[in-house]
Amino acid sequence: MFKVGDRVEVKTKTQTFVGIVMPAPEAEKDLLILKLPTGYNLPIRMNKEVTAKKIGEEKFEGLPTYRPEFKKLPFVSVIATGGTIMSRVDYKTGAVAPLKSAEELLLTVPELHEIVNIKRVHEPFLIASEDMTPAEWKKIAELAAQELNDEEISGVIVTHGTDTLHYTAAALSFMLKNLNKPVALVGGQRSSDRGSFDGALNLICAAQYCKSEIAEVAIVMHGSESDDYCLANRGTKVRKMHTSRRDTFRPVNELPLAKIWPDGKIEILNKNYRKRRDHRAETLVDTRFEPKVALLKVFPGADPEIFESLIEKGYKGIIIEATGLGHVPTSTQNKKMSWISSIKKAVDSGIFVGIAPQTLYGRINLNVYTNQRILEDAGAVGLDDMLPETAYVKLGIILGRTKNPEEAKKLMLTNLSGEINHRLEPETFLY
Amino acid sequence: MDYQKLGLKSGLEIHQQLDTHKLFCECPSEIRTDKPDIIVKRELRPLAGEVGKIDPAALFEKKKRKFYIYEAYSDTTCLVELDEEPPHEINPDALEIGLLIAKMLHCEIPDVIQVMRKTVVDGSNTSGFQRTALIATNGYLETSFGKVRVATVCLEEDSARRTAETPESVTFRLDRLGIPLVEIATEPDCKTPEQVKEAAEKIGSLLRSTGKVIRGIGTIRQDVNVSITGHPRIELKGVQELPQMPKIVEIEVQRQAEAIKSGGKLEGHVRNVKEDLSSKFLRPMPGAARMYPETDIPLVTIDKEKLAKAKLPEALESREKRFVKLGLSADLAKQVVKDVRLPFIESLLTKFQTANPNTLVSTFLSVEGEVKRKTGKEIKFTNEQFESIFDLLDEDKIVKESLLDIFIGLSKGESSSDVAKKFAKLSDAELKKEIEKIKKEHKELQLDKLIGIAMGKLRGKATAEKIIGLLKSKT
Repeated sequence: MFKVGDRVEVKTKTQTFVGIVMPAPEAEKDLLILKLPTGYNLPIRMNKEVTAKKIGEEKFEGLPTYRPEFKKLPFVSVIATGGTIMSRVDYKTGAVAPLKSAEELLLTVPELHEIVNIKRVHEPFLIASEDMTPAEWKKIAELAAQELNDEEISGVIVTHGTDTLHYTAAALSFMLKNLNKPVALVGGQRSSDRGSFDGALNLICAAQYCKSEIAEVAIVMHGSESDDYCLANRGTKVRKMHTSRRDTFRPVNELPLAKIWPDGKIEILNKNYRKRRDHRAETLVDTRFEPKVALLKVFPGADPEIFESLIEKGYKGIIIEATGLGHVPTSTQNKKMSWISSIKKAVDSGIFVGIAPQTLYGRINLNVYTNQRILEDAGAVGLDDMLPETAYVKLGIILGRTKNPEEAKKLMLTNLSGEINHRLEPETFLY
Repeated sequence: MDYQKLGLKSGLEIHQQLDTHKLFCECPSEIRTDKPDIIVKRELRPLAGEVGKIDPAALFEKKKRKFYIYEAYSDTTCLVELDEEPPHEINPDALEIGLLIAKMLHCEIPDVIQVMRKTVVDGSNTSGFQRTALIATNGYLETSFGKVRVATVCLEEDSARRTAETPESVTFRLDRLGIPLVEIATEPDCKTPEQVKEAAEKIGSLLRSTGKVIRGIGTIRQDVNVSITGHPRIELKGVQELPQMPKIVEIEVQRQAEAIKSGGKLEGHVRNVKEDLSSKFLRPMPGAARMYPETDIPLVTIDKEKLAKAKLPEALESREKRFVKLGLSADLAKQVVKDVRLPFIESLLTKFQTANPNTLVSTFLSVEGEVKRKTGKEIKFTNEQFESIFDLLDEDKIVKESLLDIFIGLSKGESSSDVAKKFAKLSDAELKKEIEKIKKEHKELQLDKLIGIAMGKLRGKATAEKIIGLLKSKT
């Protein structure tokens, strides 16, 4: 009946309201939401006793346009992909939806222009983190490689939703080979329409990271609950550990690469990183990915038929999130509940079966208990201290590169991008 | 001053904390003075509002360029106050109390309410906004000068409280953040400073009558809007005491009249009331652009049937009259309805029918002070202790003369049953025996001396009237 922005006069039995029509949730057909002059929204159920008429229109002003002024600063490029960091309130669905452009985002963080010049902003797609697939990882990797090989570019910032940010970080870590410069992945846990937008500090620190000597794919986000510093965590050794806190991304099984303050101070916490190299050292990109790869968690009572169904569906590789040091149901009282014969069947038919820890912290060690030796004998491969998510991404990439099971196994056990750490230092636990 | 000629228009905005847990999380509404164990440092950024405008009040704060320090407690604040977790659903108890208050103010309640985010960048909200919902419109309240219309009733979260300030930072404590507040805004219908005061008193009394509001310093805050013909609306914040209200309005009217006389551009703004009751500029008037929907909380449909059935609490004035009918003195009745502990006192009056209500209430109100005077000990008796002692009085097992001694006994850690035994009232036969004994021992003494001895010996075990009566009697 009315469109958003209409100025209307609504008469109920006893009152008259004048206000601007705001979008109502799709499911609420008879609800007219009026923005009153006080700023409050008043939802009114339209029924026989209520009349409304249009008396004017409100022009919605857009945000000012983004015109960065040039300063003699290093260049970075931004790849914007969506997520909370690119979100504002959407009144249609009553939820948070993407900003119209990356320019709008940068407008909300003017400090960035004091740190770097933004050479290009790519917006290959704007999707929520949970909607990412390997196809999007490939696109981001290709754009990143293209930017990294531009001699003027000092580093690349990827803005992304936080839910699956660590999967994308792992994918870029493997897809970008011979990396020459920093790649920072950044998200936000509070949307950019609010004063407490955490993505601002994350973006500022990401810009600082892009000027650093660390040529690694890293997630750069809050290090604490305060807006004081960010951590740069290696893309293969980091995980979202909290549904809502700002400092949700924590390193697992190693220390963060660095602590980064918004003023540019950088404290290296982990000396094991690739150094920035001459731009002539080209970054290569290899985005081949085998889609028939799955990540499966075992749990008490888990029926091996779940696993069997993956064999039937033609999966080429399976990462099992095993319990403890690397267990699956093995010598169960009810023999039908043991996973061993299914795993053996899978391996015998050429499927790679990898074992990663559902404890996240610590290393898989298949030599401690008898049941584990049974698992190893069945052909499953313990994947050291690799995070299950990282192992899943790596397996897709490795099986995209080789169909040879022996070669795949060898590569899965080779440290390609910092995903395997042979020395676990005590202070890395619950960092 | 001729307020009618000046065209005074004044209205109120009253904020009252509700006595329930926080509005958008399960934390208790508890103000603390002990050392906080969580310290977090944050910044806030000015942002465009729903219709693309940046709020002038928000920009003004940001120009000051500050960072904020938040103090919190592991056991009474959670991730919601720290802006580290989305809000939970609206506290149904707070909503119920808010709607009840709206009903008492003859308001109309919408079918659906939508929680809004009101942009606040002075740091007093960790999120950068205050959550607030319009829950009622179009009510009124009666004053002796005429009706004052109630424009709106809102339910909102209280802000964090400022505990320190340096040139670079402001420190806030999160204990207050999220306490449910009901905000009552009247139309500018008050025509004199006295009417403003009366309207504020009426609203205060109405709020207290629910028994569901938090009492004490800082739990109710009242802002006054003032304008005279030719001057835009001014909002006065920080009115502490109701008796000061007429003077504050008067001073503001004078200020506005002088401002008009001296010419120049006049703008509506917010002012802070100082100790001498004059005021100083605080910030520009916030615009409507500062509000946008709280998308983390779904629309709330109001249960109109339940609301229709909800019983309104008895007005304090009516309760005062009822207490007098029950036998309470007029003075005590007046005192009781203003007391924080009204619900408990009321329960005493219904529970104990035999004992004299004046004895019960005056003992309840004053015995702690009397015990302190006698023993020097600061003590708070529990409601259970009062009830157990009043129970004995009601059953005629003790006499009112022994009450102070009994409470002194309790203050020394004795149990109610022990002190009850010690001060048990004597039966008529026992008392008679004791009196006869005293008479026999002191045959030579006059009645007044005898009374002195008997009272000393039997004090707290029988009423004075009875002792004297028996001494006077021949047998």
